[in-house]
Amino acid sequence: MNAGLIRKIRVALLLLFVFVVVGLLIYSRIMAYSLAPTLEPADFSKYAWYEVPFYYLWDYISHAWICLLFAFTAAGLVYEFTPKEVITKYMGSGKVTGYAIGAGLAPFFTVCSCTMVPLFAGILYTGAGIGPAITFLLMAPAANILTILITGEFLSWEIAGVRIIVSLITAVLAGVIISKTSWGKTIEKEHQISQGTSTAQQTIEIVKPPLDERLISALKFGGFLAKQILPYFIVGLIVVGYVTAYIPETVVESYLTGITGVLLASVIGGPLYTPTLVEIVLGRSLLQLGMSKAALLSWLMGQPYDIPNMVAVSRITRWRVVLNYAFVAWVCSVSFGLLYGLIIGSL
Amino acid sequence: MFFSHLPRRINMKEVKVEVIGPEPACVRCQTAKKVVEKATEKLKQTGLAIKVEKVNIISKEIIGKYGVLVSPTIAINGVVRVMGRVPSEEEIGKLIKHAAEKGV
Repeated sequence: MNAGLIRKIRVALLLLFVFVVVGLLIYSRIMAYSLAPTLEPADFSKYAWYEVPFYYLWDYISHAWICLLFAFTAAGLVYEFTPKEVITKYMGSGKVTGYAIGAGLAPFFTVCSCTMVPLFAGILYTGAGIGPAITFLLMAPAANILTILITGEFLSWEIAGVRIIVSLITAVLAGVIISKTSWGKTIEKEHQISQGTSTAQQTIEIVKPPLDERLISALKFGGFLAKQILPYFIVGLIVVGYVTAYIPETVVESYLTGITGVLLASVIGGPLYTPTLVEIVLGRSLLQLGMSKAALLSWLMGQPYDIPNMVAVSRITRWRVVLNYAFVAWVCSVSFGLLYGLIIGSL
Repeated sequence: MFFSHLPRRINMKEVKVEVIGPEPACVRCQTAKKVVEKATEKLKQTGLAIKVEKVNIISKEIIGKYGVLVSPTIAINGVVRVMGRVPSEEEIGKLIKHAAEKGV
């Protein structure tokens, strides 16, 4: 057999796998099979304490595997096939383009958190400035493909949509505010490289491997993400299982509703935030236990407080910037939570 | 080094391979570096002179030279060839050979 034919067969097999994964998702939709877990908090009362994690994990894994498989496959494919040169080419070309790329395109690159800080630094140094850099930093965890899919499937597509829009506004706002301050400008000047990016473009000649290798690399990356995230996700699930089983509804109903609920959710959602999808699962349980949707939105907007990222960013820009963007993000999370609650009537 | 006693071919300049990623290196950057090292190991035995360097992505020098990069990035003789993915050993081998013959 010649090499060309082998490649074609490999492409066909890999595409078949992708279609099967998509097909599973569509099939479950048609058959109205819930991809989110089905246990209600009340169901836990019949289990002993040591049984709780098993039932909870089983409930999640038996229902959510299709959704998780799809999410990781999709994340791998999107990451592999988004042209990364675009960011290098256009990032230096002006403020508006900078914000647009920072908010709209960059999130696709950052399903893996290790790429976030380098990109932040890159955007800051190449002349797009501190505004787009911060927009990117705040937007990336909220709008990456994995988070959107899981929020949509486990919670609701409404809240996933609202989360994207609200995060976008917050991210741009924080970026614009910080870029207007005098210390923000000082930091920007300090870091800017004067020569611009004109020389940079000449030294980039990306090679594109053949389609079968790209597909393999996409699936490998999906697998890599799963390996990075799933262990934390499973540990998170066990903890959430206990929270769901043992926190009485009255506590959640009295503390996580109304204006107090939004405030409290925005404060505890922050430090608990980990970029591992656990915030979605915990949010879902609290929603079942009676948390208001308004508080849920504030809860999900905790991404600016991702502590490892804050530390890494502060090394580049010092703490002032970090504390300020966190403050803007917190104000936004509270205001949008309240606003959302008023609009949908679930405060 | 170990292979320095082997005769070098004339007209073959040293190929410089930069593996660009954050410090401390992320998991995928470490994998990328291992792949590059494996590939160069084999090529060195054929008499090619190759220098592999691990470079920090968050430095003004690198960003000034290449622009905004997605890690892991691999640059050969000062030209970015691979960005945001881990290439196969075979692919890197080909790229280095190409650079040794044509300069880029």
